[in-house]
Amino acid sequence: MSTHLLEVRGLHTLYGASHILHGVDLCIEPGQAVSLMGRNGMGKTTTLKSLLGVVTPRSGEVSFKGQRLDALPTWQRMRRGIAYVPEGRGMFHNLTVREHLQMANRPNDRGETQWDYDRVLALFPRLGERLDNLGTQLSGGEQQMLAIGRALLTNPDLLILDEATEGLAPLIRKEIWDVIRLIKQSGISTLIVDKNIQVLKTLCDQHVVLVKGRVAFSGNSQQLLENMSEVESYLSV
Amino acid sequence: MDLAIFLVQLLNGLQYGLLLFLIASGLTLVFGVMGILNLAHGSMYMVGAYLAWYFFQGTESFLFSAVISAVIALMLGVLIERTLICRMYKRNHLDQVLLTIGMIFVFNALQSLLWGNDPLGVDVPDALSGSLHLTGVVEYPVYRIFVALFCVAIAAALYFVINRTRLGMLIRAGESNREMVECLGVDISRLYTIVFGAGVMLATIAGVVAAPMASIVPGMGEHVLISCFVVVVIGGMGSIKGALVGALLVGVVDTFASVVVPDVASMIVYILMAVILLIKPQGLFSN
Ligand SMILES: Nc1ncnc2c1ncn2[C@@H]1O[C@H](COP(=O)(O)OP(=O)(O)O)[C@@H](O)[C@H]1O
Ligand SMILES: [Mg+2]
Repeated sequence: MSTHLLEVRGLHTLYGASHILHGVDLCIEPGQAVSLMGRNGMGKTTTLKSLLGVVTPRSGEVSFKGQRLDALPTWQRMRRGIAYVPEGRGMFHNLTVREHLQMANRPNDRGETQWDYDRVLALFPRLGERLDNLGTQLSGGEQQMLAIGRALLTNPDLLILDEATEGLAPLIRKEIWDVIRLIKQSGISTLIVDKNIQVLKTLCDQHVVLVKGRVAFSGNSQQLLENMSEVESYLSV
Repeated sequence: MDLAIFLVQLLNGLQYGLLLFLIASGLTLVFGVMGILNLAHGSMYMVGAYLAWYFFQGTESFLFSAVISAVIALMLGVLIERTLICRMYKRNHLDQVLLTIGMIFVFNALQSLLWGNDPLGVDVPDALSGSLHLTGVVEYPVYRIFVALFCVAIAAALYFVINRTRLGMLIRAGESNREMVECLGVDISRLYTIVFGAGVMLATIAGVVAAPMASIVPGMGEHVLISCFVVVVIGGMGSIKGALVGALLVGVVDTFASVVVPDVASMIVYILMAVILLIKPQGLFSN
């Protein structure tokens, strides 16, 4: 019996004929924050989509809470306790802020409700002022908050964030990072794709760096510091 | 045209338009939410009329035949979605068109086999027979008024479900971003079954309530399908609001055309469609 929350082994994914992931491994322990880094086009988003079943890998294993997910459709994987904040935020153009939150809200697979509508609005007071706006009418930062709030309302054990601070002003970025720290403190495990290694090296417990669909570095924050120059060479353009 | 005739024709046009909306709303909903082009949608209207006739023969109760027809329609819709349509989501519109044209032939053959090809009719229910005095000389059939009000009630219910309920939120979200809906833990295939079943039921109910006003004949499904496509193209593919406006426009224009210019009446709605597409190529209310 493994104690891993999420375990990904030997993921191979292709888009048509182009082979994108070449055996990606990834592990997340309960309560941990794990970073997934790499230059643009290295396969970070593809890794996330593969483990969620949004794209179908050619081979590889995905387990969550000790149970295999490979054969399950995406929605059933999420129901086990995974939430996803996608690159680009995944707004619904025809839903208001309130509706984004209401449609997502459900207890977790143990019937518990740690996160409800009020708690999410307390975390993001700015959303409370814009409840009747369409999601697409919000600023980039507000959309990101809505995407995170919507994910939290599914009461996940694992929150996956893809480029959550991308394209935001520095002050808003800081706000988002603060929220992610709070989420981590609340006991939710996180898998964070981002470019900001300075924040990630202190925020996350484990780090994975992808180069052309392969894991080039994998280790804890101590190991990351020891191998910083090597890792930075994987990330620099 | 004197005022009395004008008024009666206007009512006829609105009533016909509302009935068209009932059918077209299902077509546009299924296309907008699921991306499925269902050419067999008109056949569901035909099925509704024939079912109404069939059960009316056995029971003489219009209400009973309407309810049981609607229930059968819902089951039929769910069955068709689960066995055939569900294979079409990852395919292109051409494949969908081929499948659903095939379904038209199947439904027509079944109709011919089960009920023959002679025109059939259903009596107006007793409680809704007779006419209403509108002004001094103008009378209007109660049943037509009932159909118009019934369609308005269904339109209102549809509006409520789509805009005010959680199911409606999920349907709209699925229309916007299917993948994201699944990533929130929602079983979108169940949602699609519900939407398709509802679409079939709307068309079938339209066939049922039209049965006492129209003669029930082979080919009635194709005829109404073409009108519905005009409605949906005018309104904007996938837009319910567009279907309502388009249906009322087509209903009124078609009705007046057949009175004012009977020789070319059948062309007029297509000219209307062409003009609207010239001004708004995506239709009046496209997303
Ligand atoms: N839908 C797709 N079809 C074909 N190729 C794709 C698709 N999505 C991504 N790719 C390619 O896969 C590679 C990895 O992309 P991605 O996982 O998005 O990278 P990252 O998130 O690390 O920037 C890139 O070369 C990209 O061009
Ligand atoms: Mg990416």
